Amino acid sequence: MEWLLELLQILIFPGIVFAIVLAFVYEWFDRKIYAKLQNRVGPLYTGKSGILQPFADFVKLLAKEDITPGEVDKPLFNALPIVALTLSLMGFLALPITGLRGIISFNGDLIFLIALMTLICIVIIYSGISSSNRFSTVGAERAALQLLGYEIPMMLSAISIGILAGSMWVYDIVNTQVSGIWFLVGPSILGFAIFVLCGQAELERIPFDIPEAETEIVAGWLTEFSGKKLALFRLTKDVELLYLSGLAVALFLGGPSGPVISGLEPILYPIYFLLKTLFVLFLLTTLRALFARLRIDQMVNFSWKYLVPLAILQVLLVRVIV
Amino acid sequence: MMNLVKWARLRSPWLLHFNTGACNACDIEVLAALTPRYDLERFGVLLKGSPRHADVLVVTGPVTRQVRDRLLRVYNQMPDPKFVVAVGTCCISGGVFNGCYNVYSGLDSVIPVDAYIFGCPPKPEAIINGVAALLKKLEES
Repeated sequence: MEWLLELLQILIFPGIVFAIVLAFVYEWFDRKIYAKLQNRVGPLYTGKSGILQPFADFVKLLAKEDITPGEVDKPLFNALPIVALTLSLMGFLALPITGLRGIISFNGDLIFLIALMTLICIVIIYSGISSSNRFSTVGAERAALQLLGYEIPMMLSAISIGILAGSMWVYDIVNTQVSGIWFLVGPSILGFAIFVLCGQAELERIPFDIPEAETEIVAGWLTEFSGKKLALFRLTKDVELLYLSGLAVALFLGGPSGPVISGLEPILYPIYFLLKTLFVLFLLTTLRALFARLRIDQMVNFSWKYLVPLAILQVLLVRVIV
Repeated sequence: MMNLVKWARLRSPWLLHFNTGACNACDIEVLAALTPRYDLERFGVLLKGSPRHADVLVVTGPVTRQVRDRLLRVYNQMPDPKFVVAVGTCCISGGVFNGCYNVYSGLDSVIPVDAYIFGCPPKPEAIINGVAALLKKLEES
């Protein structure tokens, strides 16, 4: 029976089905808040106040013709959407949701989680190059350059949390926050800001949507993808959004913990998780609505001139405190 | 299953805007229809940059001989099922350019068209109405 329970955990709750449903809901929330900030209504008529809109988009894309252009690298082009979705779902499984540890949890998994994000970015670079389209190639180049910009400050801010908790295990990090205070309060607020900004760059959302800049390079690395493949890539982006806000919650906002009535933890923990991730998502959406797109050189400049020194300062601060 | 697909299709038409030589008036009206004032995202409409992502090709302007090949290429790049909306008098019949040596008499002499929106230029309300008419036609098919 043990294995059956584990299988159900991985497949349904809090595993893959839960992740996908939540990813759709979060995309809806994102679009709705974004529309509100632009003085619009956003999706309205698909389901109750448009909540089924991302699902409708997904089904429509699944049912569309799936074109594989003649010039592309076929094995890569067909496999990469599935690889990307698998990677982002794997990251989601490692987040603490129903308890203080995720389904995948081992000593040092923070490194694994950050490596997963880099892997998704590498998948994006490959999918751009395998399309053999000039816009896709430019998009892939920009994605690679952007990766050089945001990855190091993001890792440094995660490492500063590791130093605070004295461990690179997400379970230990959450546990330290449960017995003490959230790492957001106090010296790590700078780290949180850096993490959220770099997360925005990782997700390729508006101040940093340089790799898929619509007005310059059509749709960047996504240009040649249609039908099912596009649907999978969009779902990957949604799950990644959820995963990133979940990771920010685990590292800075005390994971799924909160005031609990004993015995009700399995119900209350997911609720706290939802509330906290929605807060992080709200921050990400506000950033998206506030800024215009940077140029790639401005982004890399900003990252190396300001973000990296600030992240090093953050590590030093934490080192002094501990 | 087909009902679900139809439901999804009706609720998320993504547009691709293509200018075949318009004087820019229709283009401005198409963009005005996408602004917060009219907010087409209520119906799930999004403007897409790539033909591979789009469902509805919104064409403005008279189809010139020079643009015909490009128009056909963009049309062929779109995945099925795809729909075409002709916006403005020039696009429907050639308008004041009808009979010119370098202009086709209407978009439907080049690619099949599903909906026509009259006007020079049509108001954003008319464009929304045209898209709604297209969706209604889809629903009944």
